[in-house]
Amino acid sequence: MIQILLDRKEPSAKEVRAHQNFEEILAAHRYQQQVNNPWRYWLYATIGCFLLFLV
Amino acid sequence: MPLQLSLQQQSFLHEEEKTQIKRAQQDPRFFAPLYERYHDAIFRYVYRRVDEEEQAYDITSSVFVKALQALHKYEYRGLPFSAWLFRIAKSELYQSFRDQKAKRTVSIDKVVLKQVIEEWTEDYTEHDKARLLLALKDLKEQQLQLVEMRFFEKRSFKEIGEICGLSENNAKVKTFRAVLKLKDIFHQKE
Repeated sequence: MIQILLDRKEPSAKEVRAHQNFEEILAAHRYQQQVNNPWRYWLYATIGCFLLFLV
Repeated sequence: MPLQLSLQQQSFLHEEEKTQIKRAQQDPRFFAPLYERYHDAIFRYVYRRVDEEEQAYDITSSVFVKALQALHKYEYRGLPFSAWLFRIAKSELYQSFRDQKAKRTVSIDKVVLKQVIEEWTEDYTEHDKARLLLALKDLKEQQLQLVEMRFFEKRSFKEIGEICGLSENNAKVKTFRAVLKLKDIFHQKE
Protein backbone atom coordinates (compact mmCIF):
# COMPACT_ATOMS: atom_id res chain seq x y z
CA MET A 1 0.00 0.00 0.00
CA ILE A 2 1.48 3.31 -1.01
CA GLN A 3 1.24 6.50 0.93
CA ILE A 4 0.85 9.89 -0.78
CA LEU A 5 2.18 13.00 0.93
CA LEU A 6 1.22 16.44 -0.31
CA ASP A 7 3.43 19.54 -0.07
CA ARG A 8 5.97 17.77 2.07
CA LYS A 9 8.72 19.96 3.47
CA GLU A 10 12.14 18.92 2.23
CA PRO A 11 15.26 19.55 4.33
CA SER A 12 17.55 22.26 2.91
CA ALA A 13 20.84 21.38 1.23
CA LYS A 14 22.64 22.75 4.29
CA GLU A 15 20.66 20.48 6.66
CA VAL A 16 21.34 17.46 4.46
CA ARG A 17 25.06 18.26 4.35
CA ALA A 18 25.17 18.71 8.12
CA HIS A 19 23.52 15.33 8.63
CA GLN A 20 25.91 13.22 6.57
CA ASN A 21 29.53 13.46 5.53
CA PHE A 22 31.95 11.62 3.31
CA GLU A 23 34.21 10.48 6.17
CA GLU A 24 31.36 8.35 7.61
CA ILE A 25 30.78 6.76 4.22
CA LEU A 26 34.47 6.04 3.80
CA ALA A 27 34.67 4.49 7.29
CA ALA A 28 31.62 2.29 6.55
CA HIS A 29 33.18 1.24 3.24
CA ARG A 30 36.48 0.29 4.96
CA TYR A 31 34.62 -1.69 7.63
CA GLN A 32 32.68 -3.57 4.91
CA GLN A 33 35.93 -4.30 3.08
CA GLN A 34 37.39 -5.79 6.26
CA VAL A 35 34.28 -7.86 6.94
CA ASN A 36 34.12 -9.11 3.36
CA ASN A 37 37.78 -10.04 3.18
CA PRO A 38 37.96 -13.90 3.19
CA TRP A 39 41.67 -13.85 4.12
CA ARG A 40 40.87 -12.70 7.62
CA TYR A 41 39.59 -16.23 8.43
CA TRP A 42 42.94 -17.67 7.34
CA LEU A 43 44.66 -15.12 9.50
CA TYR A 44 42.58 -16.05 12.56
CA ALA A 45 43.16 -19.77 11.89
CA THR A 46 46.92 -19.23 11.49
CA ILE A 47 47.12 -17.22 14.72
CA GLY A 48 45.06 -19.91 16.52
CA CYS A 49 47.35 -22.71 15.26
CA PHE A 50 50.42 -20.71 16.20
CA LEU A 51 49.09 -20.18 19.74
CA LEU A 52 48.26 -23.90 20.06
CA PHE A 53 51.74 -24.77 18.88
CA LEU A 54 53.23 -22.47 21.53
CA VAL A 55 51.12 -24.04 24.27
CA MET B 1 18.10 32.99 -16.09
CA PRO B 2 18.85 29.24 -15.99
CA LEU B 3 22.45 28.19 -16.14
CA GLN B 4 23.22 27.05 -19.67
CA LEU B 5 26.46 25.20 -20.22
CA SER B 6 28.05 25.25 -23.65
CA LEU B 7 28.94 21.92 -25.30
CA GLN B 8 32.60 22.69 -24.67
CA GLN B 9 31.96 23.27 -20.92
CA GLN B 10 29.85 20.08 -20.71
CA SER B 11 32.56 18.04 -22.36
CA PHE B 12 35.15 19.55 -19.98
CA LEU B 13 33.00 18.59 -16.95
CA HIS B 14 32.51 15.12 -18.38
CA GLU B 15 36.25 14.59 -18.86
CA GLU B 16 36.92 15.95 -15.36
CA GLU B 17 34.40 13.48 -13.94
CA LYS B 18 36.00 10.56 -15.79
CA THR B 19 39.36 11.53 -14.28
CA GLN B 20 37.80 11.73 -10.81
CA ILE B 21 36.25 8.26 -11.23
CA LYS B 22 39.60 6.78 -12.33
CA ARG B 23 41.35 8.30 -9.31
CA ALA B 24 38.60 7.06 -6.97
CA GLN B 25 38.90 3.54 -8.43
CA GLN B 26 42.55 3.57 -7.31
CA ASP B 27 41.95 5.20 -3.92
CA PRO B 28 38.46 5.59 -2.37
CA ARG B 29 39.48 8.84 -0.65
CA PHE B 30 39.30 10.52 -4.06
CA PHE B 31 35.60 9.68 -4.26
CA ALA B 32 34.89 12.81 -2.16
CA PRO B 33 34.25 15.25 -5.07
CA LEU B 34 31.82 12.78 -6.69
CA TYR B 35 30.05 12.33 -3.35
CA GLU B 36 29.76 16.10 -2.90
CA ARG B 37 28.36 16.49 -6.43
CA TYR B 38 25.66 13.84 -6.25
CA HIS B 39 24.81 13.37 -2.58
CA ASP B 40 22.02 15.95 -2.48
CA ALA B 41 20.31 14.68 -5.66
CA ILE B 42 20.40 11.08 -4.47
CA PHE B 43 19.12 12.05 -1.02
CA ARG B 44 16.15 13.92 -2.54
CA TYR B 45 15.35 11.03 -4.90
CA VAL B 46 15.23 8.69 -1.89
CA TYR B 47 13.50 11.16 0.46
CA ARG B 48 10.54 11.64 -1.91
CA ARG B 49 9.95 7.87 -1.92
CA VAL B 50 10.12 6.99 1.78
CA ASP B 51 7.97 8.15 4.67
CA GLU B 52 10.65 8.93 7.25
CA GLU B 53 13.55 11.35 6.92
CA GLU B 54 15.90 9.14 8.95
CA GLN B 55 15.20 6.25 6.59
CA ALA B 56 16.14 8.48 3.67
CA TYR B 57 19.50 9.28 5.31
CA ASP B 58 20.16 5.59 6.01
CA ILE B 59 19.32 4.50 2.49
CA THR B 60 21.40 7.33 0.98
CA SER B 61 24.39 6.23 3.07
CA SER B 62 24.06 2.65 1.91
CA VAL B 63 23.81 3.85 -1.72
CA PHE B 64 27.22 5.52 -1.46
CA VAL B 65 28.79 2.62 0.46
CA LYS B 66 27.51 0.22 -2.24
CA ALA B 67 28.78 2.60 -4.95
CA LEU B 68 32.26 2.62 -3.37
CA GLN B 69 32.23 -1.18 -3.14
CA ALA B 70 31.24 -1.57 -6.79
CA LEU B 71 33.28 1.34 -8.16
CA HIS B 72 36.03 -0.91 -9.56
CA LYS B 73 33.39 -2.48 -11.84
CA TYR B 74 32.15 0.86 -13.20
CA GLU B 75 33.14 1.43 -16.79
CA TYR B 76 31.94 4.34 -18.87
CA ARG B 77 29.83 2.94 -21.72
CA GLY B 78 27.61 5.90 -22.43
CA LEU B 79 25.71 5.73 -19.13
CA PRO B 80 26.45 8.83 -17.02
CA PHE B 81 27.87 8.27 -13.56
CA SER B 82 24.82 9.98 -12.01
CA ALA B 83 22.51 7.42 -13.67
CA TRP B 84 24.65 4.59 -12.28
CA LEU B 85 24.19 6.07 -8.79
CA PHE B 86 20.42 6.48 -9.30
CA ARG B 87 20.18 2.81 -10.29
CA ILE B 88 21.93 1.79 -7.08
CA ALA B 89 19.56 4.11 -5.16
CA LYS B 90 16.56 2.51 -6.86
CA SER B 91 17.75 -0.96 -5.99
CA GLU B 92 18.48 0.00 -2.35
CA LEU B 93 15.05 1.62 -2.06
CA TYR B 94 13.20 -1.45 -3.30
CA GLN B 95 15.30 -3.67 -1.03
CA SER B 96 14.17 -1.62 1.98
CA PHE B 97 10.53 -1.85 0.82
CA ARG B 98 10.89 -5.62 0.55
CA ASP B 99 12.48 -5.78 4.01
CA GLN B 100 9.63 -3.55 5.27
CA LYS B 101 12.13 -1.07 6.66
CA ALA B 102 10.51 1.78 4.75
CA LYS B 103 7.05 2.50 3.41
CA ARG B 104 6.58 3.33 -0.30
CA THR B 105 5.68 6.98 -0.45
CA VAL B 106 4.90 9.39 -3.27
CA SER B 107 5.59 13.05 -2.50
CA ILE B 108 3.60 15.50 -4.60
CA ASP B 109 3.36 19.28 -4.67
CA LYS B 110 -0.25 20.48 -4.70
CA VAL B 111 0.55 22.91 -7.53
CA VAL B 112 1.69 20.06 -9.78
CA LEU B 113 -1.35 17.99 -8.82
CA LYS B 114 -3.58 20.91 -9.81
CA GLN B 115 -1.78 21.30 -13.16
CA VAL B 116 -2.33 17.61 -14.00
CA ILE B 117 -6.04 17.78 -13.10
CA GLU B 118 -6.59 21.00 -15.06
CA GLU B 119 -5.23 19.28 -18.17
CA TRP B 120 -7.88 16.56 -17.87
CA THR B 121 -10.94 18.36 -16.56
CA GLU B 122 -12.50 21.78 -17.05
CA ASP B 123 -12.01 22.94 -13.50
CA TYR B 124 -10.16 21.78 -10.43
CA THR B 125 -12.20 20.56 -7.45
CA GLU B 126 -11.32 18.82 -4.18
CA HIS B 127 -13.24 15.78 -5.47
CA ASP B 128 -10.94 15.60 -8.53
CA LYS B 129 -7.92 15.80 -6.29
CA ALA B 130 -9.15 12.85 -4.22
CA ARG B 131 -9.91 10.91 -7.44
CA LEU B 132 -6.42 11.46 -8.80
CA LEU B 133 -4.81 10.38 -5.53
CA LEU B 134 -6.90 7.19 -5.56
CA ALA B 135 -6.05 6.60 -9.23
CA LEU B 136 -2.32 6.89 -8.48
CA LYS B 137 -2.66 4.15 -5.87
CA ASP B 138 -4.19 1.85 -8.50
CA LEU B 139 -1.24 2.13 -10.91
CA LYS B 140 1.31 -0.67 -11.21
CA GLU B 141 4.66 0.11 -9.56
CA GLN B 142 6.54 0.63 -12.85
CA GLN B 143 3.82 2.93 -14.19
CA LEU B 144 3.81 4.88 -10.94
CA GLN B 145 7.59 5.33 -11.13
CA LEU B 146 7.34 6.77 -14.65
CA VAL B 147 4.50 9.17 -13.77
CA GLU B 148 6.34 10.19 -10.60
CA MET B 149 9.59 10.98 -12.39
CA ARG B 150 7.99 12.72 -15.36
CA PHE B 151 5.28 14.81 -13.70
CA PHE B 152 6.19 15.22 -10.05
CA GLU B 153 9.97 15.47 -10.49
CA LYS B 154 10.02 16.98 -14.00
CA ARG B 155 12.76 14.67 -15.29
CA SER B 156 13.57 14.41 -18.98
CA PHE B 157 12.79 11.20 -20.89
CA LYS B 158 16.53 10.71 -21.38
CA GLU B 159 17.10 10.81 -17.61
CA ILE B 160 14.10 8.55 -16.92
CA GLY B 161 15.43 6.06 -19.46
CA GLU B 162 18.89 6.10 -17.88
CA ILE B 163 17.51 5.50 -14.39
CA CYS B 164 15.07 2.77 -15.46
CA GLY B 165 17.39 1.07 -17.94
CA LEU B 166 15.29 2.01 -20.99
CA SER B 167 16.10 3.85 -24.20
CA GLU B 168 14.86 7.44 -24.41
CA ASN B 169 12.16 6.44 -26.92
CA ASN B 170 11.05 3.48 -24.86
CA ALA B 171 10.83 5.68 -21.76
CA LYS B 172 8.65 8.13 -23.73
CA VAL B 173 6.31 5.38 -24.97
CA LYS B 174 6.01 3.71 -21.56
CA THR B 175 5.38 7.02 -19.80
CA PHE B 176 2.70 7.90 -22.36
CA ARG B 177 0.99 4.53 -21.72
CA ALA B 178 1.24 5.02 -17.95
CA VAL B 179 -0.40 8.45 -18.23
CA LEU B 180 -3.19 7.00 -20.40
CA LYS B 181 -3.77 4.30 -17.79
CA LEU B 182 -3.84 6.90 -15.01
CA LYS B 183 -6.30 9.02 -16.99
CA ASP B 184 -8.53 5.97 -17.54
CA ILE B 185 -8.58 5.08 -13.85
CA PHE B 186 -9.19 8.75 -12.97
CA HIS B 187 -12.27 8.93 -15.21
CA GLN B 188 -13.58 5.55 -13.96
CA LYS B 189 -13.55 6.85 -10.39
CA GLU B 190 -16.18 9.51 -11.20
